Amino acid sequence: MADGFRALHPFVAFLYYVFAFTAIMICQHPFFLFFSGLILTAVNLVLDRGRTLKGWGALFALFTLSLLLLTPLFNHRGSVILFYVFQNPVTLEAVLQGAMNGLTLFSLLALFSTFHLVIDGRKFLFLFSKWLPKWALLAMLAVRFVPLFKRRLDEIGMVQRGRGMGIAAGPLRQRMKHGMFLTQILLTWSLEDGIQTADSMLARGYGLGKRSKYTPYSFRPGDFAAIVFLLALSAATVAGWYLGDGLLTLFPGLEPVLLYGREWVFFSFFALLIGFPLIAEGKEAAAWRYWRRKI
Amino acid sequence: MAILEAKNLTFSYPDGDRCALEDISFAVNPGEFVLLLGPSGSGKSTLLRLFKREIAPHGRREGEILFRGKPLERTDKMLAAKKIGFVFQDPENQIVMDHVLDELVFGLENMGMETDEMRKRVAEMAHFFGIHPLLDKEIHHLSGGQKQLINLASVLLMGPDVLLLDEPTAQLDPVATKDFLHIIKRMNEEFGLTVLLAEHRLDEVFPLADRVLFLERGKLLLDEPPKRALCRMEKREEKAVRAFLPAVPRLFLEFFPDPDPEDLPLSVKEGKRRLGQYTVGAAAPEKEDSGKKDKERPLLEVKAAEFRYGKDERKVLDRLSLTVFEGELLAIVGANGTGKSTLLKAMAGLLPVQRGRIFYRGKKLARPQPEEIAYLPQNPKLLFIRDTIGGELAAVAGRFRIEAGKERAEELAEFFRIRHVMDRHPYDVSGGELQKAALAALLLPSPRLLLLDEPTKGMDPEMKREFADLLKALRKEGTTVVLVTHDIEFAAGCATRCAMMFAGRIAAASPTEQFFKGNSFYTTAISRLTRNSHVPEVISIGEARKKWTIP
Repeated sequence: MADGFRALHPFVAFLYYVFAFTAIMICQHPFFLFFSGLILTAVNLVLDRGRTLKGWGALFALFTLSLLLLTPLFNHRGSVILFYVFQNPVTLEAVLQGAMNGLTLFSLLALFSTFHLVIDGRKFLFLFSKWLPKWALLAMLAVRFVPLFKRRLDEIGMVQRGRGMGIAAGPLRQRMKHGMFLTQILLTWSLEDGIQTADSMLARGYGLGKRSKYTPYSFRPGDFAAIVFLLALSAATVAGWYLGDGLLTLFPGLEPVLLYGREWVFFSFFALLIGFPLIAEGKEAAAWRYWRRKI
Repeated sequence: MAILEAKNLTFSYPDGDRCALEDISFAVNPGEFVLLLGPSGSGKSTLLRLFKREIAPHGRREGEILFRGKPLERTDKMLAAKKIGFVFQDPENQIVMDHVLDELVFGLENMGMETDEMRKRVAEMAHFFGIHPLLDKEIHHLSGGQKQLINLASVLLMGPDVLLLDEPTAQLDPVATKDFLHIIKRMNEEFGLTVLLAEHRLDEVFPLADRVLFLERGKLLLDEPPKRALCRMEKREEKAVRAFLPAVPRLFLEFFPDPDPEDLPLSVKEGKRRLGQYTVGAAAPEKEDSGKKDKERPLLEVKAAEFRYGKDERKVLDRLSLTVFEGELLAIVGANGTGKSTLLKAMAGLLPVQRGRIFYRGKKLARPQPEEIAYLPQNPKLLFIRDTIGGELAAVAGRFRIEAGKERAEELAEFFRIRHVMDRHPYDVSGGELQKAALAALLLPSPRLLLLDEPTKGMDPEMKREFADLLKALRKEGTTVVLVTHDIEFAAGCATRCAMMFAGRIAAASPTEQFFKGNSFYTTAISRLTRNSHVPEVISIGEARKKWTIP
């Protein structure tokens, strides 16, 4: 069982993702977004040493950079002209807009690359099985079948390759024909085995009465505290957006990029909200250290 | 009062021309361990399923089935589902969920149980089974034996009074089989669980049972305590019945006939004690006809092969070297996970090894050569593309452009005695017939080398004997056979040479007899029985027939 952020009730984790997503979408300010990107990179590092992020890194960078560079080339609004490219003005406003778009995208991608680490298939189904119990069971079965089919297809492919029914070589028409045969074996085999699975479900009393659901997760005081924390910070962030403090005004007049006055307050709420996983993980680490010191 | 009872039970399937079960009557008392024997297709599964209402087959039924003295149909549905548990043969297909814990509580959820109660029951059961390290795992990472334990635990969690098991160990290796049966025995002895077990692995189960039922062609042939049942089985004419005798009692019944049934030894320990009372002479050694054969020519050579499935994974084959000689029947034995199947795939050219070389008739083997090397996978269903067995043979003949393919197919069908199933779907025939049909399809292009992966999985003893004879006949016709198995008795009965695989290497390889006499643990029951005794050491009953003389 993982500690820290991942040990929280799935509902709390789900709430975090909803709020963080909203906060990133509404706080269109380069300063805010730069830090949300930074914090979320740190979250990635803490949760899986950045393995997922590294795997997708090139793609994420490509998206981010293309938004960063292309926006100013196509958007010419604004009053502060920096220079001309092919007789088209490149404005500071457009550059900032590009930076915001790029950083928003990067933050969202970094946010969702942690999603499957925190809310795995089981937690996801747990979250939705309350409302759709039948569908949740069906989804559970389907989830099992995807890797199962893949393993079976690999096996069939190998055996049939040895019988001269390969799909890796030969004319396209023949390969397609062979592929059809392989799929046919997979389906017949799986249907046949599916009957046995159905028998095994019936034998254990499936469909006789109302099903209950085993809930491996329970709400603890920490979960309630986390919900209160998240709700308060999100409310504050939304208030900041409403008051215009989480937004960079581009038109008609450009607002200074650096924060001033009240904006710092709202920025810290925003940062705390986005950085919630770091707080949860850090608290765990601190508690552990403290305990070690005690003995 | 009997807990389960069948009264004049007759059953026939809608499309069946004969009765699957005919006038069967017996009663099972609470706490009894009943062993249900019979060849494949004798109606064991049908009988077991009729006792489990939710999965009872459709068809015409006469007679009565009573659960605790009440007709099963009139028992409360939920109660019947809870109190009569059922474990199936295939460990994989019974599983519904992808995590162990979810699978364990599946039945409890169906009963509408509260989470706290479920948690308590799972905790208890995990302790009893010793499966707590597995609870958070995904099921497909488990071994077959572990999966079957999870299936059993999931059924037992519902608190059954009667446990029905339909060949639960047919797909497991010997070690997993022992573990599984041991748990069943404990449940029976410590909790008085009533057990009705259909099985083919006889050496292990006979000592456990209180009573033996023998079914043949839908009729109840025997209903006796184990030792008496064995004596009666030996007297029967049908080979199919006699093939069910486990090795140790069979040896005694054959060489020292007509004992008091109560004295018949079931285990090696009892056998050793009994053997002391008899004197056995050694027959003059026969002139070995093989003698010094003409020089053995290597057919396939594996040289320092290495293989692993992923960069960071352990080596499945670790500098493995092995030579297969022309005309031999080589059995590769070893526990699960030692890389036997992987080796066979590499030898078939299906998996390219990462280091080392494989030579086939002196040339490097780079890709599969179905005309030369035939590979039978563990699951022979994978070989079939057409929807009839005859159609498959015709398709194979067409694909390999075999001259006179039709005649050759006829010949093979005759040889394997599968003519009567040529029009059937491959999935509708028995396991043994499917295995033979697959072999026929493989042998159609007349390959020189036949590679078989666990060919005896799920076969009944009679089928195994027949299969061994077929393999011997094939070898006589010049086909070289390599088979991978954990069935030691089978290997001892048909192989000319045996190799033991351990940790990705061949740990030992020698002619069969020498091989088993040299091993102290990994050897046949008869070898363990006759070792270090005053009688000449033999490894099988067949060898005893040759080497023993009874004064």
